[in-house]
Amino acid sequence: MSEVKSKGRVLVAMSGGVDSSVAAALLVEQGYEVIGATMQVWDYSSCDLEEGNGTCCSSIDVDDARAVADKLNIPFYVLNCEAKFKAQVIDPFIAAYLQGTTPLPCVDCNTYLKFDHLIRKMKELECDYLATGHYAQIVHDQAAVKILTSTDDWKDQTYFLFSIDKTILPHLLFPIGHMKKPQVREYAEAKGLINAKKRDSTGICFVGNQGYGNFVQAHANPEELKKKKGFIRRYPSGEKMAPHDGIHLFTIGQSKGLGMDFHEKLYVIKIDPVTNTVWVGDEKHLYGTELYLKDLHLLDEISPDEKLDVKIRYSVRGSPARVEQSDKGIKVVFDEPQRAITPGQACVLYRGKQLVGGGWIYL
Amino acid sequence: MLEKTQKTRIYLDHNATTPVGSDILSKIVEVADIWGNPSSIHWAGRGPKALIRESRQHLASALSVSPLELIFTSGGSEANATVIRSIFDEIEKTSSPRFGRNEFVTTQIEHPSVLKAFQWIEERGAKVTYLTVDRDGNLNLELYEKVISEKTALVSIMYANNETGVVFPIQKLAKIAHERGALFHSDCVQALGKVSLNLAKMGIDYASFSGHKVYSLKGTGFLYARKNCPIEPLIFGSHERHRRGGTENTLGIWSLGVMAQKLSTVSEIYPRITLLRDQMEEQIQKTISGVKITSKSAHRLPNTSSMVIEGVDGETLLMSLDMKGIAVSTGAACSSGSPEPSPVLLAIGLSRQEAQSSLRVSLGWKTTPEEIQTFIDILSQVVQRLRTLEQTQKELDHV
Repeated sequence: MSEVKSKGRVLVAMSGGVDSSVAAALLVEQGYEVIGATMQVWDYSSCDLEEGNGTCCSSIDVDDARAVADKLNIPFYVLNCEAKFKAQVIDPFIAAYLQGTTPLPCVDCNTYLKFDHLIRKMKELECDYLATGHYAQIVHDQAAVKILTSTDDWKDQTYFLFSIDKTILPHLLFPIGHMKKPQVREYAEAKGLINAKKRDSTGICFVGNQGYGNFVQAHANPEELKKKKGFIRRYPSGEKMAPHDGIHLFTIGQSKGLGMDFHEKLYVIKIDPVTNTVWVGDEKHLYGTELYLKDLHLLDEISPDEKLDVKIRYSVRGSPARVEQSDKGIKVVFDEPQRAITPGQACVLYRGKQLVGGGWIYL
Repeated sequence: MLEKTQKTRIYLDHNATTPVGSDILSKIVEVADIWGNPSSIHWAGRGPKALIRESRQHLASALSVSPLELIFTSGGSEANATVIRSIFDEIEKTSSPRFGRNEFVTTQIEHPSVLKAFQWIEERGAKVTYLTVDRDGNLNLELYEKVISEKTALVSIMYANNETGVVFPIQKLAKIAHERGALFHSDCVQALGKVSLNLAKMGIDYASFSGHKVYSLKGTGFLYARKNCPIEPLIFGSHERHRRGGTENTLGIWSLGVMAQKLSTVSEIYPRITLLRDQMEEQIQKTISGVKITSKSAHRLPNTSSMVIEGVDGETLLMSLDMKGIAVSTGAACSSGSPEPSPVLLAIGLSRQEAQSSLRVSLGWKTTPEEIQTFIDILSQVVQRLRTLEQTQKELDHV
């Protein structure tokens, strides 16, 4: 039997879901020396186990990841990231809601855990690469390494990857980025992986079914929470409509659960963290053509007159816009009005299929 | 696959579990075929019944106790729970000389099966004192004498700690407890097979043992309960003289008996292991800078070495060593597989950082000097590499 030379050693971030499991299986098949790791990010003993079925924090997911690793006959480790996750993801998540913004913890998790902590582990374990089950593609194009959107437009996850440090791109592998979700499941089934039919994790892993507002309510400092009560006012008239229990319970564009009866459908237009005012109004007030970006992180150069495709939330298609420097900061100007531009969410820039960067929305 | 079998495999985690003894392995199928129910009156019951009787005799004679004082259990955890629950029941009985004694004494560094049993009775009204242990692993004897009173029902102190290997003066501690009328239990799981044990001489009332820590099969252990000391079953049934229900685990119990016959050789094996451990510590400290041996000056088990390796994350070190075929531990084997800093090391006064930079090496009956040498060579390479990486990362973070 001729010996197959390893293509290098890869650390695979395995969540216990089907995507990262297939990523690991593909790498094994391709001849890499694969090591699996799961980041334990939240104390699952405090989670409802039933509810935890299918979210990152549950021990069931760790067990699934381990079962897949065993099946693939690769070493597998659980990394304790609870403290780091709390400091870098949970605490900022709560703080953001208390500031009246709508945070995007998945990007923080990528920035500080997956593509920082795991990159360190990759080096420490003498691995050549770090792989994840993201729907995104890494392309080595002449001298540069680029991130492209997944061939599965529906699942594409590049929106969450804009903050990646450029220097680590040569070390990243996204083994399932060229596949579509049904193909991934098919492959998992063919390989006999136990999570082939596991439902997709949606939403934020540590929140579960309780809802964001309730999560913040349960984990924030009660004194801080008390200070967040205020009034709902009609936009733009300023008419006082009802008191509310805290600005963290609202997000831009929300029309349900406003806690008041009104004959027309009203939407949250704006949240003012200084006065704790939640402004509600007609849907037309949700639209805007401009936003400001902070902490702009670029993976490639862009020019002010270049028309880019810009996404202001995960679940929308990109819209043409330009990025320009203004007196107030970096401004993004869209050709068409955008619905519910939400402070705290990411604004991510694309050139065709190429991810070129992004930043955080503020108004 | 060829490549995998050629890999180094060195097992230095004997405090977690031990390989099954070769004399057990070679007969395991034959003995498993003695499948009758030991309680059966007919021919099928006789073989297994005899195996259990012989095992009990071998163990009793190895530990200088009477066979009837031994109760087979599923392991050390069950034995621990049985004793603690028994005495908690006992103090409720008006007929008991210990009626109304509602205080229990233990240490902060017991096995979780002891600590959790105490928490359980605490939630139900018992008063439990958890004694601290200093950095050298010593119990404060003066404090110990103070906390044990006429109200103390039971004292439970492990013979030796699984992580640091520190051995407690059980005989002395038991004597003090007895003077106040309290019962004394010792979790001896880590001691069996590592030191010569004479339970009668130790003067204790209860002791817990586990098979898999001494080259026997998992899922088997036993409890020593001195004659006339109260014991209540945790599992009901008529087996083990009504003290532990459930059809006996014949195979496991037999494996304990095989091991028991080897216990007399412990005094021959362990001088060699002690020497090997001491030489290992000396050489590690010579080759790698910033290594501190935890509780080095204390009376320790011959096979255990717990060390703090400055500037290295234990979790990463463990994984790196594993990938090179070396099995060691950062502390207790954690069921979730996600290492938190060891509560034992924190309890004896190590900082969080020190606890997170700790490595536990535990040698076995068959550990060779060559294995230790290979381990030291690999350890020093890995530590050096991790330290260099850490340094580079720090410089990067600084920029």
